[in-house]
Amino acid sequence: MEELSGAIALVGYGLAAIGPGIGIGLIAGSAVEAMARQPEAAGMVRTTMFLGIAFTEALALIAFVLFFLV
Amino acid sequence: MDELILALEECDLSEQAVCAPSDVTVLFEFREPIIEIFGFPITRTVFLIFLAALVAILILFFGLRKRATHPGKYQLSVESLMTYVRDEIAIGIIGPLGVKYYPYLMALFIFILVGNAFEITPLINFPITSRMAIPLFLALVTWVIFVFAGFKRNGISYLTGIVWPPGVPVALKPLVGLIEFVSVFFVRPFSLAVRLFANLVAGHVMLSLMLVTAFVSVVGLFTGDISVVKGLFGFAWWALALAIFMFEMIVIVLQAYIFTLLSAVYIDTSINVEH
Repeated sequence: MEELSGAIALVGYGLAAIGPGIGIGLIAGSAVEAMARQPEAAGMVRTTMFLGIAFTEALALIAFVLFFLV
Repeated sequence: MDELILALEECDLSEQAVCAPSDVTVLFEFREPIIEIFGFPITRTVFLIFLAALVAILILFFGLRKRATHPGKYQLSVESLMTYVRDEIAIGIIGPLGVKYYPYLMALFIFILVGNAFEITPLINFPITSRMAIPLFLALVTWVIFVFAGFKRNGISYLTGIVWPPGVPVALKPLVGLIEFVSVFFVRPFSLAVRLFANLVAGHVMLSLMLVTAFVSVVGLFTGDISVVKGLFGFAWWALALAIFMFEMIVIVLQAYIFTLLSAVYIDTSINVEH
């Protein structure tokens, strides 16, 4: 039986990407819903959406950097 | 170009699926100085930083030189970019006081945009923002600006409003205050820098590995070094790399926008403290 080999940090990054993935999906979904309901507020919703995505995405990106550091 | 040569030398597609150097940091380090000025070695990265600053200055200079009443295409696009940053980011986020910070935000936006765009510029292909020095420095400048703006506008109540937040039950105040303090003064600049840095690192790694793999596969197909199937896979790699190329174009603009937007949001939260 062959041994598995590789970096355990990869698994860590995969785990860390789950949460932000779900979060960004929720944010973008809600933003689309809001824009569809109120197209005149689309500009404001888009700015807020990018803000939310930026904050959520940071978690995955920090894990990505840690993967290279460790 | 160095990175391409580096990866080519080590690449053996019969053993590995993707041409990846054993240590991925070689894609980001240019140790040999290309020129020395007064004993200061100028590496490729340093040269590109100055080039980015020069390009940013030239874009603004030639866009705003004439100030024609009937602007041409180029002046119009530069002016609409500036109007967007002023009205949507500076005034839209910070409020009427934001006009004061608009020059900084504009400089930030256009410098990061040019620095990011080097990622997909032919013959350069290296985003300077993928070296931590640049995002970290810009984030620290933002940090200094929002801390000073907070103290200047709100005095010492800026600090006390963070460590002893109003409107929170007394029992929770030390805990919330501690979390807020760490989050405002330490996590903010760090996450601001890491967001830009990590996005560009990911893009650069993806693009360079895929394009080098595609190049080696297709060259190997013609010289007969590797099997036909693997050589044909090279074209698939190429198509994928082109798709990533388009994606990176979006990322480049979006990350410059988000960095500027978050800088404005941070300045806003330290100026307009809710009472």
